[in-house]
Amino acid sequence: MDTSKGISRRRLLKLTGMTGALMALDTPLRNFNVAYAFGEHPQEKAPYLVKKKIPQVCARACECDCHYDVVVGVDKVTGLERALTLEGRPDDPVSRGKYCIKALGFVDGMYNPDRLLVTLKRTNPQRGLDSDPGWIKVKSEDAVKEIIEKMKKYKPEEMLFASPGDPYSNRLCQSLGVTRSDQRTECFGTHYYLNSLMVTNPPNKYYSSTYTMTHSIWGYDYNETKYMLWFGFDSFSKTAKAGILNHIAEGKRKGTKIVFFNPLRTPITDTMADEYYPIKPGTDLAVALAMVKTIVDGKLYQTDFLNKYSDAGALIDNETKLHVIDEKGTWLVWSTAENKAVPIKGCNNMAFSGGPYTFDLNGKKVTAKPVLQLLQENIEKCTPAWAEQVSEVPAKDIERIAQEFAKFAPNVCIPNLKRDPAGPNYANSWRLMQTINILHTLTGSFDREGGVLFLHGVKIPWLDEFAPIPKPYPEQPANPIDYRNEFPVTNNIYRKKDFCAPGHYGMVGHGLYHRDQVKMVFFKGPHRGLHALIQPQMTEAALLKMDLVVDWNLYPDDGAYWCDYVLPAPHQFEEAKLDIRQYYPKWACLVGGNPVQKSPGDVIGWGKIASMIGFALAPEYWTTDGSKDASKIIKDLSKDMAVAAVGAGTDDKDFMDNKNAFWIDKKPYENYKTIQEIGYGRPDGRIRMYVDEFIEVGFNGLPEPAMRWSSPEGEYQFSLLVTRAGWHMHADPNFIDNPVLNVLSAKNYTDCVWISPAAGKKLGLSNGDEVVIETNPKLMTELPRPVKSKVYMTTRISRDDCVLLFHGIGHRSKMLKHGVWGYRDGDLIPQKDPKICKQHDPTGMGWVEDVYVRIKKA
Amino acid sequence: MKQYAILLDSRFCTGCNTCFYKCVQENRLHDVAANGNTRTVVQINDEGLYHQRCMHCLEPTCVANCPKKALTKSDYGPVLWDSNVCIRCGTCVLRCPFHVPMLDQDHNEIVKCSMCAHRNFDTNPDAKPACVEVCPTSAMEFGEREAIIAKAKKMASDNKLNIYGLEENGGTSMIILSKPDPIALGYPKVAKTNVGYSPIAIGGTAVGLTAAAVAAFAGLKKYSERRNNIEKEQ
Repeated sequence: MDTSKGISRRRLLKLTGMTGALMALDTPLRNFNVAYAFGEHPQEKAPYLVKKKIPQVCARACECDCHYDVVVGVDKVTGLERALTLEGRPDDPVSRGKYCIKALGFVDGMYNPDRLLVTLKRTNPQRGLDSDPGWIKVKSEDAVKEIIEKMKKYKPEEMLFASPGDPYSNRLCQSLGVTRSDQRTECFGTHYYLNSLMVTNPPNKYYSSTYTMTHSIWGYDYNETKYMLWFGFDSFSKTAKAGILNHIAEGKRKGTKIVFFNPLRTPITDTMADEYYPIKPGTDLAVALAMVKTIVDGKLYQTDFLNKYSDAGALIDNETKLHVIDEKGTWLVWSTAENKAVPIKGCNNMAFSGGPYTFDLNGKKVTAKPVLQLLQENIEKCTPAWAEQVSEVPAKDIERIAQEFAKFAPNVCIPNLKRDPAGPNYANSWRLMQTINILHTLTGSFDREGGVLFLHGVKIPWLDEFAPIPKPYPEQPANPIDYRNEFPVTNNIYRKKDFCAPGHYGMVGHGLYHRDQVKMVFFKGPHRGLHALIQPQMTEAALLKMDLVVDWNLYPDDGAYWCDYVLPAPHQFEEAKLDIRQYYPKWACLVGGNPVQKSPGDVIGWGKIASMIGFALAPEYWTTDGSKDASKIIKDLSKDMAVAAVGAGTDDKDFMDNKNAFWIDKKPYENYKTIQEIGYGRPDGRIRMYVDEFIEVGFNGLPEPAMRWSSPEGEYQFSLLVTRAGWHMHADPNFIDNPVLNVLSAKNYTDCVWISPAAGKKLGLSNGDEVVIETNPKLMTELPRPVKSKVYMTTRISRDDCVLLFHGIGHRSKMLKHGVWGYRDGDLIPQKDPKICKQHDPTGMGWVEDVYVRIKKA
Repeated sequence: MKQYAILLDSRFCTGCNTCFYKCVQENRLHDVAANGNTRTVVQINDEGLYHQRCMHCLEPTCVANCPKKALTKSDYGPVLWDSNVCIRCGTCVLRCPFHVPMLDQDHNEIVKCSMCAHRNFDTNPDAKPACVEVCPTSAMEFGEREAIIAKAKKMASDNKLNIYGLEENGGTSMIILSKPDPIALGYPKVAKTNVGYSPIAIGGTAVGLTAAAVAAFAGLKKYSERRNNIEKEQ
């Protein structure tokens, strides 16, 4: 062997062989990292340490009010103990262990550095975004005292509270005799009022319940229903509504058929729709009326239900156009067996058709027809062919769908919650809502499993129920600034039956601007301020002349720039809660929430503010004995009473500490029981299809065809559609001032306005182009404010005559680090002149999408 | 050890992105997410919804190409990233056929789903990844990969659905069912290969075996020749 030539061949060969063998061995083990035993890899370590879980109720993101636990722990990066995330509660019948992205956003919102933690007081009298308010910090209680002193010089009609009808707001506004107006008109005012007028007959023992919006029927048995019609129900906002989605998904898995009518195709449409029709906006009423006609003409209705639980057979006086009643106030029907008019109760052979029937009543001759006969006459021309002309939904499909809907009765429903076309979107929305309720009545789907579930068996009392007022409240202003008095249909409910009734936000800006009546506006934020108003620029102009403007808010948003004081509100997770399950009321149920933390800074609760103001200005309504003794200021016992009434605990503390903040009575749902308890004519209550109150103000008691208020004209061809991203709630900075959620908005183009590709092409646009959107000046005659935005062209806008805007964005407050982006949809929607509103709509709603705009490249 | 996988039935996804935010909170990723770097996000496209997230390939390209073995395929399914080892070269970002890993420059992190490996599925039988837990419509399911695959195939057959993730890149642990063609929804077009083998694993099995075979052959041949020469000399 020659070893003088370096590495020997033998060694070379050995090395080569070994290399090859090692490479072969390495291959199956190439992923194996011997550095960590199982469980020791950095990504196998828990990112946080859980310390406790605190029950809460999601009362501010939507009215699902999902029940969940807030997980509090130590963030390993910062070492801080704080709320980190959520954990579902599977026992909650609404959420069933789920919650949505907004609920998660609330967790981080508690720690948003832009949160208002002190009261700000203006020193520069110049209001508006362009001026520095010259804020100084003052103690919150001192600020309230200063506000009280100023309020002493105003008359009741000179003050406005922009606030929802929560217990303390109601007590305050009633005790002072001041107007309360709120933005819920823009969300579900129509649903609320039509349900009150047709079904829930306020006040009633279940729906007059605090914490959730009274007299709103929101429980649909999605799990068990067989057939649903969705008139625009699938807005983008519904894409994240976990409290209903978990039920809808179950229903779909069981084979529920859903028919969608919407010019916007959302991801829910893609996943859930069995049939989809890109309906012409604002024409859902035509389709619904044609369906009613198909069902009535074909006698496809549930006769037994109509007999027992509706006014289908009730006689309507030809002369007065009102329900004929006997001396006891009971409706009369025509008995086909006895051939005479008899009380409705107990008559099982009432005529639904025919007439006019003539009879004597208290010495007077009456000629009358049954409600169902009048309905048939009213909609005689509303054929499917007619509806096709109006809506562009094929006639044969309308007819077939109506027949299918009737076939699956009573396990059918037409869900409607807020901001769908049955909401206050169009001048004809109130008629659509009435028609939807009629469809529910004809199919017998109200108050039963598989259909529309009614709240029952539980309530949370109002303050007045355990702290009765010592004397009647003062009268409300004769000429309230939101023109409520000009709409007696809704005003009567607000004044006499349910002070919680939503107030006319669609007209309050008009009143503030045109009348010099109001000197003080108090906004109870965070959704009640400028962002919640249509045509906010009108209110901004009005606020310039106000003597005193106050906001109670979590964040210093746009409205702050017009305020004299901005009081810091607690985060919803810093409040105790008790809630019913209005979104899925199959069983009586109470859920509770505990504060996750004490509110930081000088935050002040609404109950405290209201009590301070109320006691200072109307003390007799704020003490337990009607005296002016401060030691007797009323305390909120509503939770204790609600819990004790159903045996959920001895009091609220027991319920929260020992009963896991949860109680449910899983007694089987008793179909049609609650209608009788709460409906018209209770204790043998019924649904009223025919609404007498409409007659009293010059409208028909039954729905009839009606168009939108606005029409396309010239360049103003685009019908305005409004929705909001599933991860936003109104204009709430909890979500919009959130840099993580902003990424989502950008990725999904919800910071743009959306049009169809064909429409965009016609306008010479490309994706990402800046556009200007302007309202037809004939619709917005004052203070127009065009909107500028980037455009996104998508086939999700199914029609070329629509433009979609996302609501809630477009903040301008410099105090929101991440919130100033996007555009403001409300700038394009006019405040309503009551004179115009009255011509079309006895409920006085805002018609939020009844607008035509033009789009031009900027 | 059991191998896990996730099944997504797109027919029930509404694009709510609750999974996106839950992931951010669960894994404390707010800072990188604010930069647009996400472990999972749902994009609402015209034709449908695209879930951009790690597919946890059986033969991950990122793993095969990582020069420092900072990415590893665990025995139970997830592909994990080790921040202690990673040199932030960005190779995984470039190589992943699904365009998943993101490199957050500000925080010097690779952002990629870990299938919530910290939830220790073997010791906590009810545990599942946060995204699966939170989905409001239960569009996602989590379980043993074999069972997930079997279920996916049955659902696809019964409902005429497309399956994505079964064969792409040699198979993955993220199986997606959709009515429309997944590519139309936005999912990347990735070559399908026999399950368990990926031809694009450079430096991986194929080359390794070939190199080993060549080296072994050369070595043995040389040894044999030399042996013969020695015998001849002797």
